[in-house]
Amino acid sequence: MIRILPWLAALCLAFLTQSPAIAADKEPIMVGSVLDETGGLNVYGKAMADATKLAIKSINDSGGVLGRPLKLVTYDAQSDNSKYTTYANQLALRDRVAVIMGGVTSASREAIRPVADRNKTLYFYNEQYEGGVCDKNVFTTGIVPSQQIAPLVDWAIKNGKKKFYVLAADYNYGHISADWVKQYVTKAGGSVVGTDFIPLDVSEFGSVISKLQEAKPDVVFSLLVGGNHIAFYRQFAAAGLSSHMQIVSATFGLGNEQVVLSPKEANGIVVAFPYFQELGGASNDKFRESWTKAYGANYPYITDSAVAVWNGWHLWAMAVEKAGSTDRDKVIAALESGVGFDGPSGKVSVDAGTHHLVQSVHIARANESHGFTVIGDQQSVAPGYERSVCNLIANPKMARQFTPSNAN
Amino acid sequence: MEASTLGWVANMAASVGLSIAILVLVSLGLSVLFGMMGIINLAHGEFLMFGAFATLAGVRSGLPLPIAMVLATAVVAGFGWVVERALIRHLYGRLADSMLATWGLSLIMSQVAVYVFGPTTQGIPTPGGSLQVGGYSISVYSIVLILAAFALLGMVYAVFTQTRYGVMARAAVQRPQMASAIGIDPRRINALTFMLGAGLAGAAGALLAPMVGVMPTMGEAYIARAFMTVVVGGSGVLTGAAAASTLLGGVENVVSYLSTPFFGQAALLVLAICLVRVMPTGISGRLRRKL
Amino acid sequence: MKSSNSTLRLRLVTCAVVALVCLALGVLMPEFAVMQATSWVLYGLLAVSLTLVWGHGGIFSFGQGAFFGIGAYAYSLAAINFLPVTNETLSSVVVATLAAAMLAVLVGYFIFYGNVGDVYVGIITLAMTLVLFTVLSSTADPKYHIGQAQLGGYNGISGVPPLTLPLGDGGTALTVVQSYALVVLVCALVAAGLYILLQRPFGRVLTALRENELRTQLLAYDVRLRKLIVFATGGAIAGVAGALYAAWAMFISPGVFGLSLAAQVVIWVLVGGRVSFAGAFVGALLVQSVSFALGGGAGDATPIVLGVVLIAVVLFLPVGVVPTLTRYFASRFGSKAAQMKSSQETDSGIQRLKELPFQSHSRGAALTAVGLEKRFGGVRAVQEATIKFEQRGVHCLIGPNGAGKSTFFNLLVGRFPPNRGAIELEGRPITSMKSHDRVRSGLGIKLQVASIFNDLSVRENLWLAAYGRLRNSASADRRSAELIDWLGLEERADDSAGLLSHGQKQWLEIAMVVATEPSVILLDEPTAGMTREETARMAAMVRLLGQAVSVIVVEHDMEFVRALDVPVTVFHQGSVFASGSLDVLRHDERILDIYLGRHGKEHAA
Repeated sequence: MIRILPWLAALCLAFLTQSPAIAADKEPIMVGSVLDETGGLNVYGKAMADATKLAIKSINDSGGVLGRPLKLVTYDAQSDNSKYTTYANQLALRDRVAVIMGGVTSASREAIRPVADRNKTLYFYNEQYEGGVCDKNVFTTGIVPSQQIAPLVDWAIKNGKKKFYVLAADYNYGHISADWVKQYVTKAGGSVVGTDFIPLDVSEFGSVISKLQEAKPDVVFSLLVGGNHIAFYRQFAAAGLSSHMQIVSATFGLGNEQVVLSPKEANGIVVAFPYFQELGGASNDKFRESWTKAYGANYPYITDSAVAVWNGWHLWAMAVEKAGSTDRDKVIAALESGVGFDGPSGKVSVDAGTHHLVQSVHIARANESHGFTVIGDQQSVAPGYERSVCNLIANPKMARQFTPSNAN
Repeated sequence: MEASTLGWVANMAASVGLSIAILVLVSLGLSVLFGMMGIINLAHGEFLMFGAFATLAGVRSGLPLPIAMVLATAVVAGFGWVVERALIRHLYGRLADSMLATWGLSLIMSQVAVYVFGPTTQGIPTPGGSLQVGGYSISVYSIVLILAAFALLGMVYAVFTQTRYGVMARAAVQRPQMASAIGIDPRRINALTFMLGAGLAGAAGALLAPMVGVMPTMGEAYIARAFMTVVVGGSGVLTGAAAASTLLGGVENVVSYLSTPFFGQAALLVLAICLVRVMPTGISGRLRRKL
Repeated sequence: MKSSNSTLRLRLVTCAVVALVCLALGVLMPEFAVMQATSWVLYGLLAVSLTLVWGHGGIFSFGQGAFFGIGAYAYSLAAINFLPVTNETLSSVVVATLAAAMLAVLVGYFIFYGNVGDVYVGIITLAMTLVLFTVLSSTADPKYHIGQAQLGGYNGISGVPPLTLPLGDGGTALTVVQSYALVVLVCALVAAGLYILLQRPFGRVLTALRENELRTQLLAYDVRLRKLIVFATGGAIAGVAGALYAAWAMFISPGVFGLSLAAQVVIWVLVGGRVSFAGAFVGALLVQSVSFALGGGAGDATPIVLGVVLIAVVLFLPVGVVPTLTRYFASRFGSKAAQMKSSQETDSGIQRLKELPFQSHSRGAALTAVGLEKRFGGVRAVQEATIKFEQRGVHCLIGPNGAGKSTFFNLLVGRFPPNRGAIELEGRPITSMKSHDRVRSGLGIKLQVASIFNDLSVRENLWLAAYGRLRNSASADRRSAELIDWLGLEERADDSAGLLSHGQKQWLEIAMVVATEPSVILLDEPTAGMTREETARMAAMVRLLGQAVSVIVVEHDMEFVRALDVPVTVFHQGSVFASGSLDVLRHDERILDIYLGRHGKEHAA
């Protein structure tokens, strides 16, 4: 009998420390966020978390939503997928939030999705990804390949570069985006002379650089992701290859690569995102001002992911105002009826059938001062592939992800 | 035609050599600790990271790169001494506990690095430029790293065979009670050995800093492979590290080249498993020389 | 034995009570808490698998996370494919458990039948985990699918069905509370099953194995098979935990194979206490709830707090939280402390050496070594050694240091195979047999340093030796009682063997050897560290044994050899130099040369 006591005591203690949520007054609207603020993925997650806090503050400062302030409950998933499931459950069941915004990698999104769907809690995924999610309960504000890769390929072909070598991170995003690159390159009259998938924890690119030297492409299309892959740009430059191969990338910059690398190493790399810190426009000026005030002038760089988060919160807030309620189905209907605004990256609006965004895409080149110089843009780019396979107005029960190979 | 083949050969040699050199650098410190003290230091990757960040800090405050590297190594070695006195010395002979405690230490170190340096990746540009050999470019710094790996191996050899400390340390490993009986203080020796292992990890980080992204989690990418190398190499500090690095690094590079880096990684792991099964005491266990 | 049955009953009752309390909590707690608790209980089950494998089996496996992951993946793939057909997913749980168990058998065979040492088991299991992570992360392409289920690569498998019963149209998914109840039930059953298993002879042999693997082998137990069974069971338990986890999260990704989970399982077990199944649950619960609480508040500081907690536990609570608490409560309630009887007591009883304790069918057998050779690198420790030992009686092997006696002895024991030559027991070749098989065939082995189970009682030591031969619990009980009687150690029968005096330990080991009913007994320096008196008694014992079986003694002590007055073989430089009676050999000049190192004829071995 004695032996039971310590065990029982510990059990009870553990369960009882699950204190119920602070008795929420009727007034504030509870909203939730789960991101990776620590661990390997915090390179992306930190800026997104900062943007979250700033967005909530900005909304509250302008009077809140439906006259009520937003109360943010935020969890740090510590770059651990299993925690995403846990915290999403927490947000939905205990904190009873009106919306969950979160997830950095696609894996984390896929962990949140079933939980949000089952508990009928609205979910926003605010980060660039491989495209194809088609789920009534989910909205995404990040850019997708059909919006991002085509402009990059077009730019390269227009500048006389026809031979492409693709380097992609070896996981879903990399594989699917690499497929898209091949499709667009072929359509535009170019050719892909080689493709390599690099596991996420590789930081030594000797064999890849050897292969590049043999294949001699005009363009290296980089879909490399994460802190370890930064080493590629460094080693590429050290081998002296930047003089005869142009790098274009759909991912360079998200992890502040241009801040880390020296101007010599980063110079000339061409990327495409909706948002760059250097963009003009009144909206961006105001945004940057409030960011600097909150986080200081020495902030490394405001990434596109941060603005995707910003857009997500504001679009949701607008939809709630339009719907007059936080009820999920009403908000979804409001979002689908066409909500948009003029954000830091330009005009953004929700695409009704696909739950993605129609937004501007800017092309830029890494410059001498650890930033980017904008060299071109495309306005109101729609998510073309998603539109071709996904119509949530006609099929409201859908909840899956399409990929180019299993689209049918 | 000849020039191009020469270029290809030179390029391959440099590439394979670099893979091996990196494994040597990354695993040498761990090998010293494992071979001399039977300790598994799960914070090894974080010592490496510390060396990289220290080098970064040195360069930022104006020191020339080589000086910054040497200083960084010294700082990490000093930190290693502190860790040994505070933590490790309670854990000799307790293998699982040492793994656990050093795992805890690694968690703390990497988060402190985030506090101090921020979560984003940082770095120093690679010095040196590139060489042209028959149509292929080889980065000068990769040659530097290969030479550095040799130099460190040589230095460790010299320390263990030419210095008083080295002889005493080897004696203490082979016959601890006897060593103690003739007046060698195992505690001091152990502290020095741990310092050496930590310093080597720091040196590896310092040397790698100009080549990769320096971030608080960079240690993670190396720890697993360092482990495999040490275990396959066995307890012979030098022969083990050198032999295993050559074998594993060479295989990984060649397989990556012939197919994809994924297969290269998988090949390294599978090969490591098979070797451990076939030679449980490691490669150096088979060789006569015990160092 | 009576006391262990009551311990078992206590444990089973505790198990049931705790399970009931958990079920009650499941009804009372709010839904989100139940949801949360389910995952913690499953982590506890995963920790239990490591406790079994490591705490009880002595196998430091870093791979329990891998079996968990295999279980999760197997469940996901099976459930997605089976659900439309069978309207339930419980069969998928079974499939997943089997998949994990099979992998464990494969890996276990690879490890244990390859004689890989402790540290390397950890490394190999870690490497296996990493390989699985690398492989599964790369299955993003749609061509990687099993039936209808996409492997999904790094993104993992989404839309995994929850636990579903075959009721109604399309099956009925269990609710959160129902799933929790099922999970608690499964855990209770597993825990109960393990308690019962460990109570049986299997469990006791496992304890011995953990204590002293060599001695266990030398009592005719196939250590490799037992380790394999433990490892496979651990894999199955981790697998079922993984399957239930995938059903809970409705999602699984390769992250489950990462370094992080592999290390966390070790952390839970260390915090909870390495040997305690209850501790496994507590450890997982504590660590996970701390990390969970931190994620909601301290954010950035989580890793630091976790790191500090780890270091603190290692330094200050090295046996783990639960055992520390248990000891604290136990001492508070004043249970009897171990009574340290003075080991200065004169050795009781062992005067009554008139006959062997039982009429076994031990008869002697002839042991023959022909042309044995053993090289270590370039050194030939044993060369061309040929001896025929008689069916009965004592035979001594002597020779100066480095002559090869010990190596020869180890060749007979089976520590390593010879490079050349053969060994036969009663005409049957045993050269390729492992030690435990040799013991089974009738070889009894007593090592120089008393190799017994120090933490087990005298009675348990003897029981294990007897069970090794008889393989019947009741008979082993009787046999060990006889031996205790024969040794005269009735008063100390339930004390830890480690508390005996040096001489008593030697006798205990002899008794254990006798219990294995050997036909040939090998003794390695049996009088090492003994007093004059004890040596004399040992001589009597050896002579007694020699009446029934063949006894081969390796010795240094010439007094003892002379007292025995038996045939002697002199070893020199790895081979047999001379054989005969000691009286004759003592006058042989060459033998004196060898011992005194005289004359320049010999070169250093």
